[in-house]
Amino acid sequence: MSTPPLARAHDPLARFPAAVRDAFARFRAGDPAALGLVLSAIVRDFMPRREAVPADPLPDTARLIEDLGFDSLAIAEIVFFMEDLFQVKISNEEILQLRTVGELHAFVLRKLAAAPSA
Amino acid sequence: MDRPAALITGLGFITPIGNDRAAVTTSLRAGRHGLARVELAGNPGLPVKVAASVRDFTVDSPNYREWSWPAPYDIPRETLRGLAPHGVYAFCAIEQALADAGLAPADLTGGDTGLFCASAGSAMLLHHHLAEMHACRFERGHPMGVVSSIAGTLNFNLAAHYKITGAVCGFASACASASHALGWALDEIRLGRQQRMLVVGAEELNAETLLPFASMRALSLNPDPATASRPFDRNRDGFVGSGGAVVLVLESAGLAAQRGARAYCELAGWGQAADGHSVATSHPEGAGLREAMRRSFADTGVTPGDIDCVNAHATSTPVGDRAEALALRTVFTDAGAHPYISATKGLTGHPLSMSGAMEAAFCALALSDGFIPGNPHLATPDPACDGLNLPRGTLDRAPQTALNNSSGFGGSSVCHVLRRWRD
Repeated sequence: MSTPPLARAHDPLARFPAAVRDAFARFRAGDPAALGLVLSAIVRDFMPRREAVPADPLPDTARLIEDLGFDSLAIAEIVFFMEDLFQVKISNEEILQLRTVGELHAFVLRKLAAAPSA
Repeated sequence: MDRPAALITGLGFITPIGNDRAAVTTSLRAGRHGLARVELAGNPGLPVKVAASVRDFTVDSPNYREWSWPAPYDIPRETLRGLAPHGVYAFCAIEQALADAGLAPADLTGGDTGLFCASAGSAMLLHHHLAEMHACRFERGHPMGVVSSIAGTLNFNLAAHYKITGAVCGFASACASASHALGWALDEIRLGRQQRMLVVGAEELNAETLLPFASMRALSLNPDPATASRPFDRNRDGFVGSGGAVVLVLESAGLAAQRGARAYCELAGWGQAADGHSVATSHPEGAGLREAMRRSFADTGVTPGDIDCVNAHATSTPVGDRAEALALRTVFTDAGAHPYISATKGLTGHPLSMSGAMEAAFCALALSDGFIPGNPHLATPDPACDGLNLPRGTLDRAPQTALNNSSGFGGSSVCHVLRRWRD
């Protein structure tokens, strides 16, 4: 997209571990394999309930709502965060398609590939 | 109609004079204030130099990931994501109050427990989220922006966290808000609608909440923390901002007895009235407050002579303190009554919506521990206070009945009568 939705005043990953920030930098530098670590950390961070203890690394098949305890607010939050991080716009229709970690991963790759400025 | 008595059975404090009951009691007894020099908004040129901050919390950022709070409190992310900074204070105070009352989370979910809250919302978060929306021409916004920032944020979040299914409501009468919450909570119990009410007052202290009051010329510009807040003093020049959270657990006497709860005191009655005078300035003779005091006496069935001590609203503003002093003289002095009058905002500063909960809790401590707070910053009483009994130091004297005064914008005034309880 030509116009980012919001100019960032801060680093969205500032409070994440250095390994996650490094992986994000590698991803932005052209290493798609680094995305998995970043998304895994973000998904874990937005899990609203601690009762759900996910495997590490998160399996692609893990379902956001059923397995990881996400509710609609947490999904809205993680989407807002990813819009900031990846500088993309995500529609409600797109959100509703995302059920698993794997689908989220594939969505981000697809979305960024479609965004010329990304 | 036979009305059940309502008892205060739990207290929680996050305040500038202490973050638990023991610390607050010690500060009140010692006359130790919580005011300090501050630099608000990172601007050393601002004329407001003193405020009363909460210690041991870092909640300055609009991003909760950057917040910290004392280790004993465990705030799950599901709850944290919707909280304002003052919601963090409130969470900690409510945890304290529940432990103090001997209540477990499961005790709150049966529908016989309600939750009444008071705060003005988070001006800081509201501004942050709206600024983000303005920057993108309202094309997107943070999904938690509304519930974390608008007035009501406390009741939305705390009711969800504690799974409270009874009456849940927020109150907005500015500096009388928490007193309204407590008064209406008493009525919920008296009417048999609820057996237990949690009453929460909280505010955050930051530039966004406090400095708009400087535009009204309501804040003290005195740079000395030892004298900036001096209610009823001739040289007072405005209030000193404050924040934190205070929680009271109010239970029907029947429920308290059934579960063997210890009671600090009875909340015996309340009254409210308004000035009908000005949007922001007190009636010159405190007409609304005067009537609210009388209504609280009528509701309780006491006379002015039965009141041993008063926790005055007294914020240290020239106009407000004078109006309250005149109202107190009319209600008490003219009736031949001379209760001790404590203006504890000299120690705490003025935490706006939270005041009424904080000062009702101070009354509960005074009644249960047997002391009357003094007015240690009072050097030269305003002549308007002639005839009022304003002790400078704390009195080791056990009051039987206390009055708690609060007043807010629009002239809304609320008074509570609290008295010692013996099973």
